[in-house]
Amino acid sequence: METLQYALRRLLAGLPLILGVTLVSFALMVYFGPDLTYSLLGKNPTADQILEVRHQLGYDQPFLQRYLGFLREIVTLDFGNAATGEPVAALLAKTIPVSLILILPGFILGHVVGLLLALAAAHWRGRWPDKLIMAVAVLGMSVSFLIVIIGFQIVLSSSDGLDLFPVRGWNSSSLGSYLSYVTVPTLATMFVALGYDTRFYRSVIVEEMSRDHVRTARAFGLPESRIFLRNILKNCLIPFITRIMFSIPQVAIGGALLIESYFGIPGIGKATYEAIVTGDQPVLKAVVSLTAILFVLVVVLNDVLYRVVDPRVTLR
Amino acid sequence: MRRSKDKVGPISKFWRVIPLLVALAVSSCGDQPGVSKTRPAVKTFSFAMDQAPTTLDPVQGSNVYANFVIVNAYDTLYTYQYLARPYQLKPNLAVDFPTIAADGMAYTFRLKRGVRFVDDPCFPEGRGREVVAEDLIYSIKRQFDPKNQPQGAWLWQGRIAGLEEWKAAGSDYSKPVSGLFASDSHTLEVRLTRPYPQLTSTLAQGYSALVPHEAVEKYGKELGVRPVGSGPFRLISYDTARIVMERNPNYRQEPVDLAAEGYNPATQKFSGVEILAGRSPPFVDRLEFNFINEPSASWTSFTKGDEVQLTGLPPEQVDRVLATKHPVTLRPEYAGKYHVYAGLEAGFVSTAFNMNYPEFGYHPDPERERRNKALRCAIIKGYDWEARNNSWYFGLGEYFPGIIVPASPEFDPELSRASVTRDVPGGRKLLRDAGWTPDNLPQLVYGTTGGATERLTFEQFRAWMRDIGFPREKVVQKTYANFGDISRAWKRSELPLVAKGWGLDYPDAENTLQLYYGPNASPGSNDANWKNAEYDRMYEQASIMQPSPERTAIYHRMNQLVIDDCVAITGISRTRIYLWHRNVIAIPDREILGGFWLKYVDVLPVSTASGGS
Repeated sequence: METLQYALRRLLAGLPLILGVTLVSFALMVYFGPDLTYSLLGKNPTADQILEVRHQLGYDQPFLQRYLGFLREIVTLDFGNAATGEPVAALLAKTIPVSLILILPGFILGHVVGLLLALAAAHWRGRWPDKLIMAVAVLGMSVSFLIVIIGFQIVLSSSDGLDLFPVRGWNSSSLGSYLSYVTVPTLATMFVALGYDTRFYRSVIVEEMSRDHVRTARAFGLPESRIFLRNILKNCLIPFITRIMFSIPQVAIGGALLIESYFGIPGIGKATYEAIVTGDQPVLKAVVSLTAILFVLVVVLNDVLYRVVDPRVTLR
Repeated sequence: MRRSKDKVGPISKFWRVIPLLVALAVSSCGDQPGVSKTRPAVKTFSFAMDQAPTTLDPVQGSNVYANFVIVNAYDTLYTYQYLARPYQLKPNLAVDFPTIAADGMAYTFRLKRGVRFVDDPCFPEGRGREVVAEDLIYSIKRQFDPKNQPQGAWLWQGRIAGLEEWKAAGSDYSKPVSGLFASDSHTLEVRLTRPYPQLTSTLAQGYSALVPHEAVEKYGKELGVRPVGSGPFRLISYDTARIVMERNPNYRQEPVDLAAEGYNPATQKFSGVEILAGRSPPFVDRLEFNFINEPSASWTSFTKGDEVQLTGLPPEQVDRVLATKHPVTLRPEYAGKYHVYAGLEAGFVSTAFNMNYPEFGYHPDPERERRNKALRCAIIKGYDWEARNNSWYFGLGEYFPGIIVPASPEFDPELSRASVTRDVPGGRKLLRDAGWTPDNLPQLVYGTTGGATERLTFEQFRAWMRDIGFPREKVVQKTYANFGDISRAWKRSELPLVAKGWGLDYPDAENTLQLYYGPNASPGSNDANWKNAEYDRMYEQASIMQPSPERTAIYHRMNQLVIDDCVAITGISRTRIYLWHRNVIAIPDREILGGFWLKYVDVLPVSTASGGS
């Protein structure tokens, strides 16, 4: 009950955040976003036709009125139609699941493998396995994601390479198809994510290993495995949870623009990119609002999880 | 405790499944090929497009990407012969060419009978009804209904009688338009306010595609993602990565007559199109339009062999792939696998001087105006078309004087090339004689969208201007975040130099000559805001003339006026290079109507692919 009350309180407290994010992003769209008027006009438009299109687009309305309209769309979750004519809700319903099943394997494997490598590096801190793992991590962080994508495509998919997987496309109608299309994007995502994740997890673990209570436990002669599980890993959980949780909104909404673009995958990242380029405000407004809402939810869930892993944390 | 050999724990099961999954993954690789391995009976043509269409509703079908789909999903009265270059119009849904009244003010179009829209839930019992003349009237009316944000009204505005009045009266579809009348279910009468020789050509454009009112009423804005037409293909899926269409099973039977399609064995035999003779299109079961923004991804997919079968040639691959550029041929290792075709675009790129800027355009002081003209002419002399062609178009573009492009039937190959030949001493002399010095030269603001290519283009321009005497700081770049923003600046006459491309809407020089017609000044398409009474008079005279040597002569005089007044740095038509797999029978194109040729594409089994050069 206490947790539920806390969650509701935090959700209410998140409203100003959502309002702030939507206001700033809407102002950016209105004042700095693409002006669609001239893209929608035919050749040789008259001044009246220009006014007509501006009216159709709602550009002639005052900012406040347009912003209130945006808030109404958020409340009703009805963002109208995208520039293509497709309802935004249908577009999101179609693209978000694609992005989720595209990114999830890389997301999960990236964190799991990153954690395992970090454990190994921390265990052999200062020795060659640590140095080797950190060198690879730095490599993953240093190489441009674009280069990684192209490199993996050439090596694993192209006729000049191993030619094992499709270069581009998407089909999740069967497990076999899904695996064939998701493998290379997953490997590329993991390669880059591992660098950041491994370094992060290692630094947290190493810091925890050098704390006083760990030294004391060792002095008491407790087994290393127990020290590791109870005194080190457990205390690392809060930063681990924070890192994982805060990457969720990006995975769910942001998708993977480059991955989707290069591999021809119809996810939300590509849809968002197209919306930015073409100034498709209904789609942009939906993505911005959903991201803000998801962030608030993640913050609340994050706090609740803190309490689960560490009962000393109080929810106020 | 000892584990029984027969019992397998969950972890062991997981590890056993891994090889199976990998095997499945590998075995299923490439199940999205041109000729599907998993569904061998489905003949598929899969190709790369560098951009996705914004909408598939003909009312907004303003760009080539949209028209690639629109002209395949919908019918238009006319289209272009598949193989004829220059482009030649031919009847499509129309029975023949229209009957034109002696005064050129009335046209009669007859539509083919028995043509049906595809089956769709918008029709009673889901069965597509017959296409009738009223559908064309309805589709043209949609272009004059502001609710649709139409983009094609300019084609018929002020030309077809009664359309503006219909719009002014509230765009009520139940009300008639005086200039559009269906005398029977398959005959359309059109009354004009003045002769309009290009009217037939406008009825080949995607804007004029025949849309059933039932679909608009049922789907509203969603018509933009679910077209309902009577074209050779029907859409089955549309997302941000690709569009898939399948053959319209009820498409009319019209066997291909190669001679009527403009077949030229000397230049087109290599493609294998002869096998199409006598057969009725479409020839493939499935079309896949893959939107690939990144040329490298497109190339990797193309060379893989079982994904996209047609692509443009990425700039970074030109030297690796081409053996020669004049003519364009492939190196042997590619020639064995692919066909290549280099086609000149039906359009051009140029830079217009905005004459509204008194710094180098119109000026109240006649003497200053004379000096301004010398300034513009000097800039033109300093411009290096050859370098531009080599830098950006692999030396394959065709630069030409004036604004009548090589793809127009009225192009004059004999015209003096002085205006596209660099003459730095001549430019310097012009400036000197007109009293221009580095101190009193005006600032040249060169507007571009952001990007490395645009920056390099500007720097190249600045270097050329320095050669004729412009100080470096007097040639400046103004960048815009996107195309929409720079379009706004052009339309509002906010940029002194307007560098842009123009694609022909129809193969008639009128389409580019109208770019300098005085009444089309900003926000119209006359970005130069040039006003020349003689030019305007000739434009008005020619615009009501049917094609003839007399009209061509007028066009040529108008072209010369643009050149003589130094209104624009013009121009170049780029060459587009296409590569496609040898088992694909096609002559690709993307000009004028976009994908009008797709219904003629055939795909042979790889083992029986024909040879050719």
